[in-house]
Amino acid sequence: MGFPFIKYAIKNLFSKPSTERYPYIKKETPKEYRGKIKYYPDRCIACGLCIRVCSPAAITMIKGEKGEEGQKITMQFNLNSCTFCKMCADFCPRKSIELTNEYSMVATDKNELIVSGSFIKKNPPKKNINKTGGVQAV
Amino acid sequence: MFDKIVEESKIKSPWLFHLNMGSCNGCDIEFVALLTPRYDVERFGIKLTGSPRHADIVVVSGPLTSQVKDRVLKVISQVPEPKVIVSLGSCPMSGNVFKGSYSVEAPVDRFFHVDVSVAGCPPKPEAMIDGILKAVEILKEKRGIK
Amino acid sequence: MISILKGLFYALVFPGFLFCTTIGLLLLGIDRKLVARMQNRIGPPVIQPFYDFFKLAAKERIIPSTASRKIFIVAPIIGLLSIITISLFIPINQIKTIFNNYADLVVIIYLLSIPALSIVIGGASSGSPFAGVGISREVVLMLAYELPLIIIVLAVGWKIGVKAGTGVTFSLANIVNYQVKNGPSISILSLVPAAIAFLMIIPCEVGTTPFDIAEAETEICEGPFVEYGGLNLGLYKLMQGIKIFVMISLFIALFASGIIPASITGVPFINSLIAIAWHLIFVVILLFLVISLVRTITARIKIEQAFKFFWTYPTIFSLISLILVWAGL
Repeated sequence: MGFPFIKYAIKNLFSKPSTERYPYIKKETPKEYRGKIKYYPDRCIACGLCIRVCSPAAITMIKGEKGEEGQKITMQFNLNSCTFCKMCADFCPRKSIELTNEYSMVATDKNELIVSGSFIKKNPPKKNINKTGGVQAV
Repeated sequence: MFDKIVEESKIKSPWLFHLNMGSCNGCDIEFVALLTPRYDVERFGIKLTGSPRHADIVVVSGPLTSQVKDRVLKVISQVPEPKVIVSLGSCPMSGNVFKGSYSVEAPVDRFFHVDVSVAGCPPKPEAMIDGILKAVEILKEKRGIK
Repeated sequence: MISILKGLFYALVFPGFLFCTTIGLLLLGIDRKLVARMQNRIGPPVIQPFYDFFKLAAKERIIPSTASRKIFIVAPIIGLLSIITISLFIPINQIKTIFNNYADLVVIIYLLSIPALSIVIGGASSGSPFAGVGISREVVLMLAYELPLIIIVLAVGWKIGVKAGTGVTFSLANIVNYQVKNGPSISILSLVPAAIAFLMIIPCEVGTTPFDIAEAETEICEGPFVEYGGLNLGLYKLMQGIKIFVMISLFIALFASGIIPASITGVPFINSLIAIAWHLIFVVILLFLVISLVRTITARIKIEQAFKFFWTYPTIFSLISLILVWAGL
């Protein structure tokens, strides 16, 4: 019965430990890391493709009142329920969703982890309908 | 000198107990990686115990399945006060992809009070260290007010 | 009056309650730090067991309803008191303690079985099936290591008594006096197998890997300690730390005293301090070789393998020693 690890045990006593000193020294993430979601509301067109593709159903669209200029639309990304699979960012036609490389998302309250943004969707231009038939542009 | 040791012992020796409530084991594997030489949480005084009666911090993972619900509530009531509950991943808070199933009872907030939640699927081990250090601060407040 | 005060000083301060608890907790911390360094990581600070003990004293004390209350509370106290009483018998590098009578070693062997029994009784009184599995393993381990221990003590007492000319002696004071004049017992060739057998018994008495089958494991949810929490658990951890100090001091008193000369300077008080310091350095070196190194490189073995190991290898070594002593070598 031999003891195979004695050499390594004694050698490790006199060399530096190989521990990473987090949280005093922060660590770099790899290049395409999928972290916290960042939403650019001014590029969004409210098409709803991200809601259709999201598998845990974590995205909601809240429509406001129809006003003079347009309709106020709020998109909410619930990070309590997100799988970080990046399907929403891949399918968005205007590239308005981006997954950053921030990995430390610790919260004591559930509402701290909801990312939301709102914009105003302009009304479509009015078209004049002639009584005699046909459509004419104004 | 003696007073300083007694004061500091409230934050320098938290003992952990891990409870799996029906998870897919992704968060469990990343949690056990915290005890290896690379991340090494033992330098903060943290130790993994085998019995819930010895623990200060309870770490839960997984959406609560109906079969295990009574037993989890019993085990959490066996942990002595003051205690802090940390939830790993996004499954305990909302059920992630298992939402709406006939045997999953997430969100877990309705049954016991969760103090700290770490988001991610699975969260990076450095994020878990941040979560546990925040739980230690909450423990200090609970002890001080007590 | 003076003798009562002196007795109280020995019992409460040195080497009684205060000295033993401080050194016991420090030895536990040094052991954890050495194991962490050998596993290539930073470990906890050396005074970590002090933080653990005071934190455990501030937790809520829960007594389950299926447990018997009085035995549940009294069991760790009995174990702690008996291990502190043993430390009053062992001379620390020729500083005489209060109990130096005829048959020290017999009393020490009787008292050494009480801490293990207090774990068994504490586990049995908690009323949990996990504890039942743990205490049956602890009883089997006690049977395993008591046999070589008695044969070693008999061999050492016989040899040194015959050489000193008084017949078989069981008094630690006589054994230490003989070694001071004529060199340590480990230099007598027929007692070397007994020393090796004693070194094999120390990890089993203390309860570290590879023999921590009964006490602390996550396989059966910590065995006899499963329902303990708060100050009761803290007293058990304290008992384990003091046991390390007592067992290693017993080895040094039986086999290796007299290496360091006692009176270097003239003042008796400074002599005592230097003697205690040398003894502690020796204790730390033996702790590294016998407990920490073995704990890092081995894994836990099963209860049948442990029983078979103890009734073959250490028993054979100590029997060789006894036969050589009887033959007059």
